[in-house]
Amino acid sequence: MVLFALAPIVHTQTAQPPNRPAWAWKPALPAANDGQVHILPVRGRVSMLVGAGGNITVSAGSDGVLVVDTGAAAMSDKVLAAIKSVAPRGVIRYVVNTDERDDFTGGNEKIALAGNTIRFRVATDPRVSDALAKDRASIISFVSVLERMSAPTGQKSKHPEDAWPDDTYSSAQKKLYFNDEPVLIMHVPSTTDGNSIVHFRLDDVVSVGDLVDMTSYPYIDLKAGGSINQVLEGLNRLLEITVPDTKTELGTLVIPGRGRLLDQSDVAYYREMIGIIRDRIQDGIKRGQTLAQIKAEKPTLDYDPRFGHTTGAWTTDMFIEAAYRSLGGK
Amino acid sequence: MKRIVLLIILVALSELPMLAQTDVITGMWRPLGRNEDGSGMDGDYAGLPLSAAGRLRAQSWAPENFDVPEFVCRPHAWDFSLEAGAAQMRMAPEIDDPTQTVVAYHGRLSMREQETTIWMDGRPRPPDYAIHTWSGFATGEWDGDVLVETVTHLKENYIRRWGPMRSDDATVRIRYKRLNNNYLRATVIIYDPIYMAEPYVRTSLIWALDPNLILPPYPCEEATESVVEHGTVPHYLPGKNLLPAQNRNENDEFGTPYEARLGGPETMYPEYIKKMQPFPRPNVKKGAPAERGQ
Repeated sequence: MVLFALAPIVHTQTAQPPNRPAWAWKPALPAANDGQVHILPVRGRVSMLVGAGGNITVSAGSDGVLVVDTGAAAMSDKVLAAIKSVAPRGVIRYVVNTDERDDFTGGNEKIALAGNTIRFRVATDPRVSDALAKDRASIISFVSVLERMSAPTGQKSKHPEDAWPDDTYSSAQKKLYFNDEPVLIMHVPSTTDGNSIVHFRLDDVVSVGDLVDMTSYPYIDLKAGGSINQVLEGLNRLLEITVPDTKTELGTLVIPGRGRLLDQSDVAYYREMIGIIRDRIQDGIKRGQTLAQIKAEKPTLDYDPRFGHTTGAWTTDMFIEAAYRSLGGK
Repeated sequence: MKRIVLLIILVALSELPMLAQTDVITGMWRPLGRNEDGSGMDGDYAGLPLSAAGRLRAQSWAPENFDVPEFVCRPHAWDFSLEAGAAQMRMAPEIDDPTQTVVAYHGRLSMREQETTIWMDGRPRPPDYAIHTWSGFATGEWDGDVLVETVTHLKENYIRRWGPMRSDDATVRIRYKRLNNNYLRATVIIYDPIYMAEPYVRTSLIWALDPNLILPPYPCEEATESVVEHGTVPHYLPGKNLLPAQNRNENDEFGTPYEARLGGPETMYPEYIKKMQPFPRPNVKKGAPAERGQ
């Protein structure tokens, strides 16, 4: 109820969901489709910024600001203004990238450069002038995110160097103690081989990036090592971390890559969807069906009105094909 | 003349909303006999305005779903229990002390411990990206002597205990009306563009005022071990549903045709009875125990 009570303070605009049949009446709700960045206080130090592309998580406290993902590049100024309103005197110390998608890393350069990590030492030797000597927030990610955002020597990356992660990990998890709470950055491969999820242990909030997308089917990037089975395994890992309060609601809160705030049971329903669709496609492969035959059987029909898209960057057809290929379909 | 003035004052007082209407819903309510839906056969969707998506979703549901560890303590949604749960109910007002106006009604149902708060103070709705809960965010307003509750921010949940679902995009309206002083009727209307093709309207329970009722607690712990292994998703593949009503050769006690048991908007209306007549009916053996759900 606290979450409900706080929300109206920062939202004023209203919008009606698109493509809703006339009979399916719904009161107008404030939404984040107006080109602005909106702040949803989640719990304790943690807020969720909505409307900048992918959702952004902000932890603000005595150590400064830690940001999980940075949204689309075009929204960076508005994101910085929102962070400023959450933490008027806080310095951005860390940025964590949950994967390398543009909607999650587009603001890296501007937002990192607006911050400042406390460096081990300030370079006084004039011969030292590398990126580490810049005043900027440190960008943390799993190592394969850096590998894909950067470029081999002699080649040019599409991302500026200041947007690259500079603090990578390649083990199961990286630990921080920030704003008086443990922050676990865990490697949970799902839509790529390099996804991270970030657990704020005292506030009990998990920021999960592309692992859960409440506006679409998961964006499985086969070239980056993603698969539908990994998404399922990642969701199961998330469900092991989350603990519901009474009546199986609230408790651990989950900030998805896109869409509304969640708790464990919402993730369980999302896992149910991925499991059912995976099994239908797998069954079609076992029966020797081609991709076209599987698509013709509409293995996502029951979830399409909620998660499907026929246009845009990630359509239902693209999702089915990615799932099919990742299951070994030829 | 004095009598006329007194009468006018009494009439005027009776129009004051809070004084007149607070007691319409407040109290302890005992459920009376339930008007059961259709045959009650497991897997029967007759009378539900399911869309194609809603039907496939329902047909994918397997009974082991209730034993998925994350769902073991899942409550019935408030709107489901009002129409089907036969639950005892308590409704209590929250009063703003200085003004003595009703801020909210707090409701509790005994069956699987559902609670709701119906805000009466005109507060705005949360944004669409706020958390959703089993009872959602509810506001109330008076339509004459009927309390109309409007609920958004709902979690997805079942509308029958054998698969049919209501989505998290649904709006629910519930109309509470007091009847003959000591009875309460709740009419549930679900507007769900995901799993339904038309609004679903249902009045199946009536409650009697019973000040002596005591609502029992309903404690539930997370299921560390259940018959469903952690991480698995029980379900039926398309065309493989094993529930009796989804088998065209199975009977219920009324011989309901299989086609009707698939549900859909037309199965809600009386006209469907005529359309149903030529459909083949499974043989009903007289006196044989019928398949029934819960």
